[in-house]
Amino acid sequence: MIDHLTQPDSQILIKANKVNKIFPNGCHALKDVSLDIQRGEVVVIIGPSGSGKSTFLRTLNQLESISSGNILLDQVDLTDTRTDINAVRTEVGMVFQSFNLFPHKTALGNVMLAPMKVLNQSKEEAKQGARDLLYRVGLADRMNNYPSRLSGGQQQRVAIARSLAMKPKALLFDEPTSALDPEMVGEVLDVMKELAREGMTMVVVTHEMGFAREVADRVVFMEEGELVLEETPERFFHSEHPRLQRFLGQVL
Amino acid sequence: MQTQSSRWLGHGIYLVIMAILISGVYFAGQKIDYTWHWERLWPYIINTESHDIVAVTDGTAVVDASGRLSITPDYGDDPQIIERYDTLVSRNGDLIFQGDTVARIDGWRFGPIAEGLWVTIKISFISLIFAVLLGVMFGLMRVAHGQVWRNLAVTYVEVIRGTPLLVQIFIVYFFIGTVFDLDRFTAGVAALSIFTGAYVAEIVRAGIQSVPVGQMEAARSLGMNYVQAMAYVIMPQAIKRTLPPLAGQFINLIKDSSLVSVISITDLTKAGREVVSGSFAPFEVWFTVAALYLVVTGGLSLVIQRLEKRLSASD
Repeated sequence: MIDHLTQPDSQILIKANKVNKIFPNGCHALKDVSLDIQRGEVVVIIGPSGSGKSTFLRTLNQLESISSGNILLDQVDLTDTRTDINAVRTEVGMVFQSFNLFPHKTALGNVMLAPMKVLNQSKEEAKQGARDLLYRVGLADRMNNYPSRLSGGQQQRVAIARSLAMKPKALLFDEPTSALDPEMVGEVLDVMKELAREGMTMVVVTHEMGFAREVADRVVFMEEGELVLEETPERFFHSEHPRLQRFLGQVL
Repeated sequence: MQTQSSRWLGHGIYLVIMAILISGVYFAGQKIDYTWHWERLWPYIINTESHDIVAVTDGTAVVDASGRLSITPDYGDDPQIIERYDTLVSRNGDLIFQGDTVARIDGWRFGPIAEGLWVTIKISFISLIFAVLLGVMFGLMRVAHGQVWRNLAVTYVEVIRGTPLLVQIFIVYFFIGTVFDLDRFTAGVAALSIFTGAYVAEIVRAGIQSVPVGQMEAARSLGMNYVQAMAYVIMPQAIKRTLPPLAGQFINLIKDSSLVSVISITDLTKAGREVVSGSFAPFEVWFTVAALYLVVTGGLSLVIQRLEKRLSASD
């Protein structure tokens, strides 16, 4: 198990430092959240709804701007106005709760689009890459299907392949299995476990405690916009922390 | 559930009602002692009669050995040369006065109604293209982040939707047309495109806003910039959703084009008015004009239905 406090800085891929987010309506969604994420590490964030965990995840690729603090990706400050945010986003993939596949494109088209338009790959190159990725997530026989013809689990796997096509340094998962029927959760988690084994840096917001226990290097508990606790899974699930106890009592 | 027999019954009742309505029109015509002369209409659609070639000035007809006809004017000007004719009316050396028929030419030509129809199609089609360009531009401005763009788009839409097209046509023709020295046709196209563009802008805005926010987020999280996300992800979906209301707007455009006849563009409606005074068959003319509009709008509906079907492949 990696102890993040003793690692040199270059091992840190994402560094969030005292991040605050106040929405225009005055809601203080993130309060001084600091978190370092190592290369190759899998960090799982759990917490009750409205705890700011999704908001925090979305700040990591600047889908959500922050009010104060800073976020470094590979030592590049995302909050610096001179940073090319589109270039940063190619390095941090995101998988959404509601998949957000492009409905007017086939599975293959979904995966090919960004490599062609953003990385300027040729059509053949993008197609080859997309085929390989869809094969990897077990959808070799579904490439030419439109999203409307795919099950939720299949759509989410296409979405993962779509993110991987940009060869990101890290992947962010925003409750990737919450919109799925129970029997499809497994196939998506399997793909995620496979990615973790291959050494992909992952930040996962989820309610899947089993996944956290099995795959995470570190588990983070958030509540009311605060990062309450970060621990290894073993210590996390045996923690006596009263706020965590209350939450786990509700979900388990 | 509708059964097969009740559907046939429905069709049957519909036919009976239509027959009653049509015979109603027929008997109404009889009642006011109107004699229908549909055959009078033909020359105004396709004219098969030979038509006269008239002299433009006073002069002398000259027919040379090869049969070429020209008229040498009495005073100085270049001779009027008639290249093509089928029957010669004047003879070599005849004294000709301005307006005299010197020869006839056979073959058919389009009559004023057909020419008016062509003008209507042309003006509608060109206006449609500009309306779409304007509509997409202002629709995008309407959802842009900059407040300036949004304000400009709102002003355009509200001003144009809040004033009558007829008034706009007059303003474009008499004011803008005078300032920029526009001809009638250009002024008509401008007024129609600006008017329809405002409605298209609202349709485009609604279409863009109907695409879930997650689509933009997914596109941006893949590293696409705003323009790329709009072009490759949002607009293709928005256009599909806007096709049915756009079809309605385009049909309105074709019908609204009849208003340009007020600035003396001889479109189908103005041609109809002119033919009525020549043919003394007002009912026939207006029924025909209406039917021709129906053909054009129906054709457009059909094209858009085809397009919708093709785009629904991903549903």
